[in-house]
Amino acid sequence: MELNTYQKETFEKQRPVIETFGKKTWGWTIFFLCWIGLGGYALYLQIAKGHSITGMRDNVVWGLYIANFIFFIGISYAGAVISGILHILKVEWRKPIIRIAEMITVIATIIGPVFILLCIGRLDRLHHLFIYPRLQSPITWDVLAIGTYFTGSVIFLYLALIKDFAIYRDAKLNIPRWKQKLYKILAIGYRGTPSQKRHIRISTNLMAIMIIPLAIIVHSVLSWIFGMTLRPGWHSTIFGPYFVLAAIYSGTGVLIMAMWVYRKMYKLNSYLTDKHFIYLGYIMMVLGAAYGYFTFSEYLTGWFASEKWENEVISKLFNPKEYGWWFLFANVAGILLPILIVAIPKTRTPNLIAFASFFMVIALWVKRYLIIVPTLESPLLPVQDTRIEYVKYSATWVEWALTLAGIATFFLFFTLMSKFVTVIPISEFGDKEKPLITAKEPVHESEIVPA
Amino acid sequence: MKKEFIIPACRKSLRQFGAAIALAGTLMIPGTITAQADSTQKTKPEAEEAVSLLSPSLELVSVQNTDGSIDLRSSVKTKIKGTFIKLPLLKIKFLYVSDTAEKELGFVITDRLGKAVFNCKPGAVEPDKEGKLHFKAVFAGNKSMEAGEVEVMVKKARLEIIPVKEDSLLSVKVKLSATGVDTLVKDVTIGIFVQRSFNPLKLGEGTTDENGEATVEIPSKLPGDAKGNIVLLAKIEENEAYGNLEAKATQQWGIPVSDKLQELPRALWSAHPPLWMLITFVILVGTVWGHYIIIIFELFRLRKEEPHPPATATSNA
Repeated sequence: MELNTYQKETFEKQRPVIETFGKKTWGWTIFFLCWIGLGGYALYLQIAKGHSITGMRDNVVWGLYIANFIFFIGISYAGAVISGILHILKVEWRKPIIRIAEMITVIATIIGPVFILLCIGRLDRLHHLFIYPRLQSPITWDVLAIGTYFTGSVIFLYLALIKDFAIYRDAKLNIPRWKQKLYKILAIGYRGTPSQKRHIRISTNLMAIMIIPLAIIVHSVLSWIFGMTLRPGWHSTIFGPYFVLAAIYSGTGVLIMAMWVYRKMYKLNSYLTDKHFIYLGYIMMVLGAAYGYFTFSEYLTGWFASEKWENEVISKLFNPKEYGWWFLFANVAGILLPILIVAIPKTRTPNLIAFASFFMVIALWVKRYLIIVPTLESPLLPVQDTRIEYVKYSATWVEWALTLAGIATFFLFFTLMSKFVTVIPISEFGDKEKPLITAKEPVHESEIVPA
Repeated sequence: MKKEFIIPACRKSLRQFGAAIALAGTLMIPGTITAQADSTQKTKPEAEEAVSLLSPSLELVSVQNTDGSIDLRSSVKTKIKGTFIKLPLLKIKFLYVSDTAEKELGFVITDRLGKAVFNCKPGAVEPDKEGKLHFKAVFAGNKSMEAGEVEVMVKKARLEIIPVKEDSLLSVKVKLSATGVDTLVKDVTIGIFVQRSFNPLKLGEGTTDENGEATVEIPSKLPGDAKGNIVLLAKIEENEAYGNLEAKATQQWGIPVSDKLQELPRALWSAHPPLWMLITFVILVGTVWGHYIIIIFELFRLRKEEPHPPATATSNA
């Protein structure tokens, strides 16, 4: 593979990252493995003693696990939408960030569905879903949609990686033989011939076009699992677009956080520039406003109609003794904070945008929890003479341990992947000698438009 | 004082609950009864200390049929911690009590709902001078439970059901006659039912006149079986003197309804999805996976391409 000056420079800068597995990385890996180990112990207890050791009961049958599932599938949007849309629009500044975005997609799509498995009581009957599927069930649609989306995301990531694998193969890196062999296999004989370039370009374009509707379908189907029931707080026609928007929004937040961490960790300031943060901040602000509009619309119509059961759920969300404070946090940190930070020029800095993203992502996790639990705590049939824990949900340490294990797995996969491939794609800069955005260039609104 | 009262009460309640669990375990698995007896023998002194006997509650109802047979329906339950538990696998003996002696008719083991039904054949028992029948159901008791018995006394009577069809008008005439002094029985309310898949459906009721007869109209469009047969039932329930009586007749008065399973239409609730859903699904999934296959095929072609002349490697190369 022949590299231009800029590619060589980019590669040399990241070369030590994939060649070494330093003490710091080992430290983080062991730290994450400890959390995963704790999760493993919690899982053992859950399998041995049954779901009674979780907070889920007859009424509140979904809790932390399903909130985590929606959250992880949501953040997987980062790659699908950012890299898909920006690729189609041929936006040049996307190049340094698409690898991170696609990694988020694949890793989050692996972890999300695991929480479904944790929530299922009879895992031994899981195969029944494939042997006796009911096409009329949104659960079946969800399984198929997520499976298809995951496959598409892996293909999309792999297509973007082939050229880089060829670069790693030819670079004679100081790495173990197995890793060299693996790069050789994964590069599938790519030499950069015009024909090979054309094949890759056509396939990538095709995937970029497909991955966007696919991502929309996946999260719509996910929302229909709720929306197609007659439960208060769920049965809503705007749940599909609301979920899709919230997913893109949270995915953008995670992408900004990941960029901020990698920039600090690997000193990638010249690639992940302030402008990337500001541009993604603008995207986040627009999405935040749209998400705020959907939220307002959703609760205003429910509150105005004052349907008995809908009112019960809404009153719980506004009652400070129930979920009032959480609901307030979800809206302030999830809507107002990111908009204000990006809108005010003085606060429009990478650090503050990453700070706003962090709180926004947590707020959106809380929002997912608030979608699930208060509704299930409002049964349509009155429950008499039952124990309080059957009506009110409170997550146990087992659920929290498995949640933390999921988050630790997400970080661990990121750590390992960034040691296997460069987080800044080398091959993407094949046509240009210099990056289109440099750290010192001023930011103009017009630059959001593709070059 | 209060504490002293509550603690023994709780202990007793716990002991009774433990005994009930042990009993249920013993009774639900017939094959384990002997083994259970052996194992309890080893810890007999302890068990005797810990277990106090449960008191069964027996019920007995008699149902006189048209053919002269009598169903003796008994049920057994016990109250534990304020909840009634139905007791299965208990031996209930049925007896006929006359002025002079008790005659054992037979026994039945209670089912999982704690019920035992004994059919007393026509002529097996004779009423006394007043035309009364006196029955008894007895549970002899066991290691966990006290003995118990219950009695029922009813007047011997006969309920007949006579279907009447006049032009297009359908009705049933029911006739109640008693054995002994009062041959014809008046002012007794009789319910008329039609048998449905699970339980009888009430069609109406009538009160017997001085001839012991009542007439109730029957709707003409009742769904029947494949041949249009419907089963009509006449019932007297919990009458003070006669207890329960039943009579039934089958008539071809219903609309024939095929008993063969019909294929369900394609719908959200049936086994087969609506066609539009299936087509949409196949198109969507086929399109996406088709593209995946094309892309993977393209990648294979990439692999098979002629190797490029030796590459100029990166900085290290």
